[in-house]
Amino acid sequence: MGTHIGIGFSQDLDAEIAAKKAALQAKTQLSRNKAHFTLLLTTIHYDPQAILPTIREILDESQIIGCSTGGLILSEKIQMRGILLLSISSDEISVGTAYMSDLVEHHETETGINFAKMSLNNFGNQRRDAFLFFVDNQLRTNTFFLRGLQQTLGNMFPLVGGTSCDDFRFTNNFQIYEKNILKNSAVGVLLGGKMGVAVSSRHGWRPLGKPRFIDKASGNIIHAIDGQPAANLYREYFDKSMDEIYTGKLSPLTILYPLGIPIEDKKEYLLRNVIDILPDGSIICQGDVSEGAEVHIMIGNKESCRQAAMEAAQEVHHTLLGKKAKLIIIIESLARLKLLGRMAYQEIAEIKKILGPDVPLIGMYSHGEFCPVQSRNQFKKTYYQNGSIVITAIR
Amino acid sequence: MKIDDPLLLSLVGLVFIFIFVSLRLLAVVKRRNQKIQELQALLQNLNASFDHLDQQAKLIVKTDLELTKTQEQLDRRLDGLDTLQKASRLISTTLDEKEMFRRLEESLTVDTGFEKNLILIYDKNHELKNTVRRGFPDNNLADILSYFKKDLDLLTALRQGQSFSSINSPETTKIFLQKLLKVQPFILTPILKQDGLAGILCVGNESPSNPLTEGDEELVSILSSQIGQALENSRLFEEIFHSRQELELKVQERTKQLTAALEKVQNVSKMKSEFISAVSHELRTPLTSVKGYASLLMTGKLGKIPQEVKERLEKINYHSDNLVKMINDLLDIARIESGRTEMAFDKCDIQNIIETVSDLLTLQIKEKNIEWISKIDDNIPKFLADRNQIERVFINLAGNAIKFTPVKGKITLTIGLKMKSELSLPVTMSRSSLKDFEKMILVEIIDTGIGIADKDIPHLFDEFYRVDNEINQVVKGTGLGLSLVRKIIEAHHGQIWVTSQVNKGSCFHFILPIQ
Repeated sequence: MGTHIGIGFSQDLDAEIAAKKAALQAKTQLSRNKAHFTLLLTTIHYDPQAILPTIREILDESQIIGCSTGGLILSEKIQMRGILLLSISSDEISVGTAYMSDLVEHHETETGINFAKMSLNNFGNQRRDAFLFFVDNQLRTNTFFLRGLQQTLGNMFPLVGGTSCDDFRFTNNFQIYEKNILKNSAVGVLLGGKMGVAVSSRHGWRPLGKPRFIDKASGNIIHAIDGQPAANLYREYFDKSMDEIYTGKLSPLTILYPLGIPIEDKKEYLLRNVIDILPDGSIICQGDVSEGAEVHIMIGNKESCRQAAMEAAQEVHHTLLGKKAKLIIIIESLARLKLLGRMAYQEIAEIKKILGPDVPLIGMYSHGEFCPVQSRNQFKKTYYQNGSIVITAIR
Repeated sequence: MKIDDPLLLSLVGLVFIFIFVSLRLLAVVKRRNQKIQELQALLQNLNASFDHLDQQAKLIVKTDLELTKTQEQLDRRLDGLDTLQKASRLISTTLDEKEMFRRLEESLTVDTGFEKNLILIYDKNHELKNTVRRGFPDNNLADILSYFKKDLDLLTALRQGQSFSSINSPETTKIFLQKLLKVQPFILTPILKQDGLAGILCVGNESPSNPLTEGDEELVSILSSQIGQALENSRLFEEIFHSRQELELKVQERTKQLTAALEKVQNVSKMKSEFISAVSHELRTPLTSVKGYASLLMTGKLGKIPQEVKERLEKINYHSDNLVKMINDLLDIARIESGRTEMAFDKCDIQNIIETVSDLLTLQIKEKNIEWISKIDDNIPKFLADRNQIERVFINLAGNAIKFTPVKGKITLTIGLKMKSELSLPVTMSRSSLKDFEKMILVEIIDTGIGIADKDIPHLFDEFYRVDNEINQVVKGTGLGLSLVRKIIEAHHGQIWVTSQVNKGSCFHFILPIQ
């Protein structure tokens, strides 16, 4: 039987019709009666309550996970509106799906552990290759959640994921698990069996200006940098008044100029988007920050982003050892889309050139990415990252 | 003083050592201080460099911000142009209003990326009706429609082509419209046609995170103009379409009437032919008996007959012959009309036919001392025709020419070969009746006779029609000859017509396609 992939997409204005079209297209491409697993990615223009029953009816018996996204990556185009389905029918790839709701109310590490355990229980005794998951973007202290996953699945186990997204509104995102539409939750799938996975991520942002140090931080809030309220850093660089910073007008700018925290041997920087500024000048980041850490304002441009995407694709290609991928899944930061603008698809075109133009490819834009970060000693530990592109190839 | 006390000596030694160590320490401290000063100076330099670097970084950020902003505006403008081009193509390729608005809804939603779209168009009763609605719930739409009924100032401004938006409108208007439309960034623009305001286009977003630019305003404004133009086209097309439909209905009705009339005429004609045919058959049998008995009596076999009776019998015989000829002609016409007479097509030589006809007519020509001129094109090939019938045509037409040409007159017969394209037919005749034949034989029989009045020409080929002139009053005829001639020529896919001038002469033209 082998592995069969079906991809369906529609942007019909009517939610049910769009769901039907996408599901039928995926099923037709699959050319199999049964899909074992389906990934559903949808922009927030579609009411999940309206689309999910139709998709489930057409892709009967398929396990489904999914989430909302700020944009969809298709093999031939980037779409800011639509429903995208990836269906897999395979006797080689094994899947173990899981979900965890009410994330904020529970202890994050414990939640991560339970989440991973559920996927393991549903997976069985097969070889495990990667864990793909999507988390509500309201979960701001995701380091502990990630630690829970790593404690269960292994520190160096490829954990790949993204936060569900609603086009920088941070209010309307959702997750999908089977027939349930969830909020404040995580959904994921453990992949394994007779398959291989190659993962790589890059962002392309570079540090700018002198290094500064975080004096005081808690979770994802930075209170002070170099003895000053943290927001002063942005005020200095963008020459904005504090009033402008407090009213949140700065946020779109800070997405283009995130904070960078060096990791490992300073070869790579973890990016942190600033999503809000508190009246006392503290800044709220997407993701945890450590007290005492060195921090930089980061800058990127179209070329550095394109170059980073190509490097990630090259690394995936290298990891595949010349074997052709059966499927490519891309999770990319919405900040990159904002920066790349009309050139966004060029990045995807470059990836296709490297990994094969006929390999099925899908992707989504997220507010934050979970991905193994490259370091000198080749150990790849997963971090929560902003502004990056994560390429996962399954062979 | 002798210094030999060991204790004292030790003390002195210690003092010297202390002094030495102190001096050394002082030197070290001094060097340290120098080093610290050097390091402090270095640190200051380093900090200055970092500050310098930071200043440069800030400059870079500012430049980068400006570039990013410009790039974003450029991207939006290009996206806008793409969208406009696509929308324009979509709405210009349909003249169906409903389909046009369906396409517009898709384009506005998918390509422009606005969350909320509304197009209101005035209907025939001058009421605003929504043709595109996305993101505006029923109660919101009702509020908007009711507001547009009340606020004449806003409508007046829209009629004058004024747009409103969250960028350029006065603050109070902006806040009011944001509340009415339940949007943050918005554009409200009129859809204008030549005869005034056709409707209103409104787009917007609920979230302030996706602000508008002046490029968006420009895009929506151009789009509304194109919608106005497309509406104009659509309405014009609708009017033309309706007129055409009405016209078509009228044509259909008239055609129906004409077809019914034609059918009636054809039926009457058929009945007439059948009647003539039946009557002619019925007449011919007793007439043959009459003629037979008259001939028998004239032979004297039944007894000698007086001269006066003989003369009367000759008259009976003569008139019987005329009647038989007339009945035969009628029967021929009826047969040809009904398609019962099949032409016996065979290869004919025109020279040969004319020779035979000339032989028959020579005596009459000589009697009236008429000059007979015959011009026949040598290149005319043999053609398919019923030789007997064609001879009949020539005899009939030449006979008429002789009949109506005075003594010492002139009759010219010209026969030439013509291509279909070279023919100059009378306006009442169509080339299409000549079918696909390309080569034609054109025959013209020109006499210097009394000519035919214009009023008689259209009826000349009608059955039983006889021109009222002095010759016809003397020479009796049936009025069937020319009718029969036309039937025979038409049965050969040809045409016949006449041109004439009273007292100057006539010309009978006919064409026979070369088959």
